[in-house]
Amino acid sequence: MSIDWIELIIVVVKALIVAFGLLIGFAYLTWFERRLVGRFQMRIGPNRVGPAGLLQPVADALKMFFKEDFVPGQADKPLFIMAPGIAMSAVLISFAVVPVGPSIRLFGREITLYLADVNVGMLVVIAVLSLGVYGIILGGWASNNKYSLLGGLRGAAQVISYELPYGLSLVGVFMLAGSLSLKDIVEAQARVPFIVLQPLAAIVFFFAAVAEANRSPFDLVEAENELVAGYHTEYSSIKFALYFMAEYISMIVASALMVTLFLGGWQGPFLPGIVWFFIKLVFMLFVFVWIRATWPRIRYDRLMAWSWKLLVPLSVANILVTAGALVLRDMGVF
Amino acid sequence: MLPTLSVLNLNGAVPQIAVAGAGMLIMLIDALFHRGSRRWAAYLALLGLAVALARVVESGASAETILDGALARDGLGMAFALVLIVAAALSVLVAMDYLRREEHERAEYYALILFATAGGLAMAMANDLVAVFIGLETLSISLYVLSAFFTGDAASREAALKYLLLGAFASAFFLYGIALLYGASGTTRLVEMGTAIRLAGTQADPLLWGGVALIIVGVGFKLALVPFHSWAPDVYQGAPTSVTAFMSVASKVAAFAALVRLLVVVLAPAAPLTSALLALLAVLTMTVGNILALAQDEVKRLLAYSSIAQAGYILVAAVAGEVGAAAVLFYLLGYAFTNLGAFAVVLAWSRRGEGRLPFSDLAGLGFRRPWTAAALSLFLLSLTGMPLTVGFVGKLYLFGAAVQAGWTWLAIVAVLNSVVSAFYYLRLVVIMYMREAEMPLALQRAGLALGVALAVCAAGVILLGLVPGVALDWARQAVAVVLS
Amino acid sequence: MSLTQAVFILLGGMAVLGALGMVTLRNLFHSALAMILALFSIAGIYVLLEAEFLAVVQVLVYVGAIAMLILFGIMLTRDIVGRASAVRNRQWPLALAVSAGLLAVLAVALVRAAWPLATYAPAQGGVADLGLALMGPYALPFEVASVLLLVAMVGALIIAREARE
Repeated sequence: MSIDWIELIIVVVKALIVAFGLLIGFAYLTWFERRLVGRFQMRIGPNRVGPAGLLQPVADALKMFFKEDFVPGQADKPLFIMAPGIAMSAVLISFAVVPVGPSIRLFGREITLYLADVNVGMLVVIAVLSLGVYGIILGGWASNNKYSLLGGLRGAAQVISYELPYGLSLVGVFMLAGSLSLKDIVEAQARVPFIVLQPLAAIVFFFAAVAEANRSPFDLVEAENELVAGYHTEYSSIKFALYFMAEYISMIVASALMVTLFLGGWQGPFLPGIVWFFIKLVFMLFVFVWIRATWPRIRYDRLMAWSWKLLVPLSVANILVTAGALVLRDMGVF
Repeated sequence: MLPTLSVLNLNGAVPQIAVAGAGMLIMLIDALFHRGSRRWAAYLALLGLAVALARVVESGASAETILDGALARDGLGMAFALVLIVAAALSVLVAMDYLRREEHERAEYYALILFATAGGLAMAMANDLVAVFIGLETLSISLYVLSAFFTGDAASREAALKYLLLGAFASAFFLYGIALLYGASGTTRLVEMGTAIRLAGTQADPLLWGGVALIIVGVGFKLALVPFHSWAPDVYQGAPTSVTAFMSVASKVAAFAALVRLLVVVLAPAAPLTSALLALLAVLTMTVGNILALAQDEVKRLLAYSSIAQAGYILVAAVAGEVGAAAVLFYLLGYAFTNLGAFAVVLAWSRRGEGRLPFSDLAGLGFRRPWTAAALSLFLLSLTGMPLTVGFVGKLYLFGAAVQAGWTWLAIVAVLNSVVSAFYYLRLVVIMYMREAEMPLALQRAGLALGVALAVCAAGVILLGLVPGVALDWARQAVAVVLS
Repeated sequence: MSLTQAVFILLGGMAVLGALGMVTLRNLFHSALAMILALFSIAGIYVLLEAEFLAVVQVLVYVGAIAMLILFGIMLTRDIVGRASAVRNRQWPLALAVSAGLLAVLAVALVRAAWPLATYAPAQGGVADLGLALMGPYALPFEVASVLLLVAMVGALIIAREARE
């Protein structure tokens, strides 16, 4: 079996671009969020470090690096060290199947703007994201601290509960696209983005995605007024930074998925695909921050009831309606 | 080509659909309009079972498959289905007053009985090992939950936990066996599997042997065959008595249905080895079950060991393969009436809030409760195999099949075991009639439903014992029509 | 040895290691993690067999949900960094004998078997074929499985609800 070295190099380069892109995206997402929340709260936000505060993330990163890296005495050391890494790698991997644009030609080679087009693509994303919870649950357990443990437990319960509407809401999309591959799903939206055809699914998926990313108003995993800092109470320095990055990157992933699944992905008039993708992505990120700035945190029992008693039945109803509509379409009713 | 409903032909699956559908309807009605007594749930359950029964009787035996070959509508499947439905209906009747008396009357009980029955029906009629497995799991999980149904009761919980753990273990064996058989034959359909094994002459295929051995271990756990029996006494004793009654019959009927079909349809070419294996298990099961039963001083536990021994007797005919199928079927029909009846009496007499019925409580009941005591005596005599009861005819037929197939020594062992069993069965009768009660038991009033159930069981035991011809012919004709 | 074989040996080794760890580790939480390693390695083997859908479902269901529930249960019922529990009881020689016997039977069966080979590769990670099979020849097990899941759900509710009262 001969290996196509150039192809291999291309893949590696793309992987590096995605990884670094996400890291830089994370850094400037924090800036974006702080500035925006500042506006929402009638203040200015960080504006001292560099022009318009643009170097603030760099300053934050430096601060993080120079903090003491601390491991509690009774902690389960290997797990304590592994946990943030798991959280981080899970979100990074999940971005691999997201297509950010149509393929481009460079130096006579066809280059696709995604790392892998797996034909069960969306399932891979769901599976990998469900692995991300291990970062939270292991971190919470290994810290040997009651707040961490409670945060970890909450994380596990929350993510398992919201995985159901997360996956079920997408069944309608899969039925319309006839594929689980994200590339095919984007291409199926050439005429109408799925948010028009599957509005209910889009809403349910968005809520579930916010909860999966542990973002406000579903950030009970780290509810500071109840649990200090939740599962990462005992974490500091780089390990804390990894958790922090995982949370923000999972927000980017969730936005990218919303764009890909419901907003037509890279497709749009006039501008190149990749630009459209980023415009839509930034819009979704804005929505995330907007929600955080305006909504209070939901109560824990309501969080569970919200998923099991509202989102799951809604997504099942959506599947039934979609299936019925497809059968009617095949019968030529409309 | 996309499969369509006409290919699937749901019409033939009406028994399963009626039973499971009634269960779901019960859950739905209970959730939406639940108030007061749950008696309606029992009636609804009986209605669902009646529809299924009517459908089974009406459609009769025809060696055809439905659901794209997954379900066999042959005589064998229909006959076992009939026994199972009758047993389920009797279990519902038995439970009605008992649940109210124990203050655990809830609609889910009947729904779970129905789901378990639906699983058992799938096992009895399935022509596909995957369907057999999923049916088995549906039956088993319903039974685990039913065992824990008296949730305040520690014994009930312990029973459920033990049953769950060992049952899950057994399921793993069964599943691994299916995987190996699939590896040996390349199909999960029983008929095609049988053809593949016959054609390939793979009697020496190690995959086949491995698969058969593992499946027998799995079924052995479910049937509580020795040495896979250790869960049975604790579970039988700890579970609510009405559940024990259902469990002791339903899981045996369903598991034997699947075992017989497997032996007749798939493993006929491998008969010498499977028979030897089953004969060994039969001897162990009968002997150990009976010897341990001798040492008991509590009726429910005694009946648990007796159930183990009874499974051994039935296995004697299963050893004979195709020849013994009718005997297995007939005996299970009689056993359903007998064992359910015996447990119904235990449940009528046991103290409130207590599953146990020590021997000492029986003393003097022969005269205080003449009808019930007479019924219990009848059931015990039938379990022993006394003439004029169904137990006698059934055992005659079971052991006859073994002799016919050349397993004379096995039949002799079985007869000897029956003699041993007479000792502990008849001891109960003696205690009821010959001993004075030291501390008379405060007896509950048996309800009407329980009375009906007891009457039906007693009538079944006597009628099948006196005029077995009709039922025997039915059994013989039913197993003659096997899809293969 | 081809690359595929090397990957298979690696994944198989990890699965065995995970399984051994699960039964021998003294800390229950670590046992559960070892089980996750085994489940994960098996998902890898599915990928190697070109059953992508199965692999993803294995990760999603077993690693992502079932193992998570097990960890959840351990965390709810044990001390935070749990004390070691005994991994052996009085019956261990018996258990060892039975397990070794089972291993021997299976090993003989699996090694000596003439394995039939599939004549075609499943297309598209098998998703379409799987869907057709579930709606066609395997419609019965598929439907009974839904009853099975209903029973499990109802059962969990019955047992849990009463415990709280």
